[in-house]
Amino acid sequence: MPDADEPNGDEPTASVQPFTRSSAGAPSLMRLREVSKTYHMGDVSVPVLHHINLEIRRGELLVVVGPSGSGKSTLLNIVGGIDTPTSGEVWFGERDLAKLSGEELTRHRRLKVGFVFQFYNLVPTLTAVENVLVAAELTDKPMSPTDALDLVGLEHRRDHFPSQLSGGEQQRVAIARAISTHPQLLLCDEPTGALDLATGRMILGVLADLNRDLGTTVVIITHNSAIARIADRIVRIGSGTIADIRENPRKQTSAEISW
Amino acid sequence: MSVLDRKLFREIVQTRVMLVAIVGITAIGIASLVAMLNSHKNLVAARDSYYATCRMPDFWVDIKKLPRSELTRIARIPGVSELRPRIASEANVQLDDVERPLSGVVLSLPADPKPVLANIVMTKGGYFSRDGVGEVIVHAAFADAHGLKPGDRIQLILNNRLQTLLIVGTAVSSEFVYQIAPGGLVPEPESYGVFFVSDKFAEDTFDMQGACNQIVGLLSPELRTHPDHILDEIERQLDDYGVLSTTPRREQVSHWFLNSEIQGLKVTSTILPAMFLAVAAVILNTLMSRIAEMQRSVVGTLKAIGYSNGAMFIHFMRFGLLVGGIGGLVGIAGGLALAGLMTHEYRIVFTFPQFENRPYPPVMAAGMLMSVAFAVLGSLRGVSQIVRLQPAEAMRPKPPEFGRRNPLEYWPAIWMRLGAGWRMVVRNLTRQRLRTLAGLFSSAIGCSLIFVAFQTRDSMSEMIRFQYDQILLSDFELTFKDDRELTALADVARLPGVDRVEPVFSVACTFRNDHQSKEGGITGLIPSARLTVPRNLKGDAVEVPQSGVLLTRALANELNVSAGETIVVEPTRGDKTPCRILVAQVVDSYLGMAAYANFGYLNALVGEESAVSAVQLKLDPRTKQTQAFYREVKRLAGIQTVTSVRSQKAKLDELILDKMLISLFMVTTFSGLILFGSILNSSLISLSERRVEIATMRVLGYTPQEVGSVFLREGLTLNLAGSLLGLPLGYGISQAMIGAYDTELFRLPWDVANRTWCLPILAAIAFTWLAHLPVMRAIRRLDWQQALNVKE
Repeated sequence: MPDADEPNGDEPTASVQPFTRSSAGAPSLMRLREVSKTYHMGDVSVPVLHHINLEIRRGELLVVVGPSGSGKSTLLNIVGGIDTPTSGEVWFGERDLAKLSGEELTRHRRLKVGFVFQFYNLVPTLTAVENVLVAAELTDKPMSPTDALDLVGLEHRRDHFPSQLSGGEQQRVAIARAISTHPQLLLCDEPTGALDLATGRMILGVLADLNRDLGTTVVIITHNSAIARIADRIVRIGSGTIADIRENPRKQTSAEISW
Repeated sequence: MSVLDRKLFREIVQTRVMLVAIVGITAIGIASLVAMLNSHKNLVAARDSYYATCRMPDFWVDIKKLPRSELTRIARIPGVSELRPRIASEANVQLDDVERPLSGVVLSLPADPKPVLANIVMTKGGYFSRDGVGEVIVHAAFADAHGLKPGDRIQLILNNRLQTLLIVGTAVSSEFVYQIAPGGLVPEPESYGVFFVSDKFAEDTFDMQGACNQIVGLLSPELRTHPDHILDEIERQLDDYGVLSTTPRREQVSHWFLNSEIQGLKVTSTILPAMFLAVAAVILNTLMSRIAEMQRSVVGTLKAIGYSNGAMFIHFMRFGLLVGGIGGLVGIAGGLALAGLMTHEYRIVFTFPQFENRPYPPVMAAGMLMSVAFAVLGSLRGVSQIVRLQPAEAMRPKPPEFGRRNPLEYWPAIWMRLGAGWRMVVRNLTRQRLRTLAGLFSSAIGCSLIFVAFQTRDSMSEMIRFQYDQILLSDFELTFKDDRELTALADVARLPGVDRVEPVFSVACTFRNDHQSKEGGITGLIPSARLTVPRNLKGDAVEVPQSGVLLTRALANELNVSAGETIVVEPTRGDKTPCRILVAQVVDSYLGMAAYANFGYLNALVGEESAVSAVQLKLDPRTKQTQAFYREVKRLAGIQTVTSVRSQKAKLDELILDKMLISLFMVTTFSGLILFGSILNSSLISLSERRVEIATMRVLGYTPQEVGSVFLREGLTLNLAGSLLGLPLGYGISQAMIGAYDTELFRLPWDVANRTWCLPILAAIAFTWLAHLPVMRAIRRLDWQQALNVKE
């Protein structure tokens, strides 16, 4: 089921032109132009995204904040090439993802994108290191799974099954899995949603470190606006439209934030 | 091993119990397929090589006496490619240590070994020396039954003269693969033998110098399948010499039995395995659908990180391929072993010089192919569900099912009365409709097989009972070499222990009605006959009419005639004048195609007064004088055969009913595995879906037994309902099979014992309970505290 709840009344609904406010410093990794998405379920059409225009800059840490049902997961799916827009363009470098076939999208995700999910989505029958291998095996020059686990500080638990790991540890395995293919874009869907504060902070720390040390572009999608404070830029989304995009001059570390 | 293979391997280990059940059912299907196809090939190979070695004739012609010089005339008929004259005659056998009278057939062969038509294959000893006078080659089956070996002597009564012959060798012949006495149904090698003597000796013994009484022949290849008009032509040309019968190969008794078995195997080898494989595919289908559901988010994630649909398809299809592959391998191995067992059983009834169970690569390949094909078919739905999942959708938990009301809820009177346990059962069964249907299908198939197996036995035993306890009530039947006067009755009545004697007069004839014709015979019975009692289906005795004939139903059907109509009868004796006679009534019989007439009426029909061709007798059960009777009957002159009707029945009981116990056991075990596997599978699947529900029940204070009872009730409901569906299904299959057994030589009556109705239901209960044991174990082992904490 798509996110298609009623819009949240607390959200700003003023129409803005996001691109005009964008002061492009770094070169852009992705550009979304006039992206709309409508789900059709039988006779019912549920519009989820309306005319989204968004630029994702190379190397930035972008946080997309919005309430449940605002369309942010759909946006993430379109950005990640999991889903395609009903109309509009989704440029990743020189390629419009909206025009790619299923196979081309699969290949794109395999080579360019890493995913981190709210519920980790590890394969329960594989150990930590094998879960990383699942992704690593898909590319020619992957990061060694051990190195990837080392980066998230989990090298010592490499042979544990997901059921033997805590939630935070599982999410770190999921991050290791995501980065093992050297993705240009790391998409995180509510990465701390299932975690307590301390563990959530740690995960955000790991993501921020990866962004800083490896230069990977990181997009975090969350309903938790506190998390936005670690971002370079913050996108607010509501009722399927972008309400506001702004730079975050007072970027904080994960240790500094709280919710 | 790639990491996905490791995932697969661990999932296989996790689901091993269910996979073993499915692999087991697949393997049984493949085993039965391979066993039957292999046995089919074994039999065909043994038959073909045997027929080639022995040069099996295409036709047989029995004549009273034909000068050998006449043969050239027959040989000139276009299409006849080779002929051999020989002498064939019934014989009585005397063995020192055997009390009861033995009989057999004597056949002549050239004195020096040549690759003649209808040749023999020596098994022990050697061929005739010089002209073979005073020598005999005994059929190996009879020799083995009595421990006879080359160098021994044997006494045969040939042409009313007792001859002591030297056994020079033992042999087998392709004419006697299935070696039965005339009118018999099952081989009795210990009481009916085949004896080969030299042409010279036979000519001397049977006063046939320069003559023969049987021709065996070959036809040119293109005519082998339709030899009838040539046989008609031969019969026409030999009319002056008294043609008794012509027999194309398809009607030769041994060939007929062998070929029906070969044909039957072909039919069963498609139906039975298909049923097992269909069940395996259906169960696999439910398992794969469950796996698809359980792995929803895994599939979504794998697709999101870049695994293609093709990769996912192959990954999950390996489950099915594994089931198919292992099921195929186990099935092929089991099938070959089973074929070995069948070969062993066939050796009891069929005599071949070479009859081995060989592995046939095409059969094994077919087994593997079928196994994999059914497994892929069974996996397809589940796997395509997986492939169709969009990653974005797959990663979200499955939307809750619509809370459909189940049909019972529309009857509050019933629904309100059900306890919580039963409501859960009904809800689960109606919610998982496909799985419920799969369970019903499996148990219906399993129960129908059990029904069919036991019903076949019911029919067989009813056939034997009706035939031997209702129609043929004599203990012995003595046939005379030549017709006798009624005074012969007195000689028989004087034998020790004889309680009742009745004369029989038999006439071989051709029945005709319009274009239908059938060779057969009429049995003349005295009006008050109590030893042969024609009966109708209800078992009521039918009086033999003063004039006209009673036809058995099979014969009446063959001639397309009913009671009150007339047919033409052409006797092979007397002045052979065709006469039109009334079909007084149609009676029932399951063996052969008999016709009955009044003793005097039949005599008059062929110009006799009171000729007797056979005597039926009953011994006094109080004076157990069988041994004395045997001793004396052998001294009686002019007796051709002594048939013990009771030992025929005992042999039938032994061969048909006892041997069937093995197949009953196997079918019940196999069907049991279906019932067991299907319930085990659906219970374990349901268990894995309802971990939280079970954990909650445990928290509320339910004991493992109480939790388990919900599953047991579900299993019982499914299997009992399935068995109720299986009974009519089995009934239908059984009726079709009984119909297929409607042959010239025997038919099966329709009979279902009460036990046959009950056993499938009892089996359903028993195997459900057995399947419940591993389910209970899983419930006890469930870590319910953990199950409560797991996100679904």
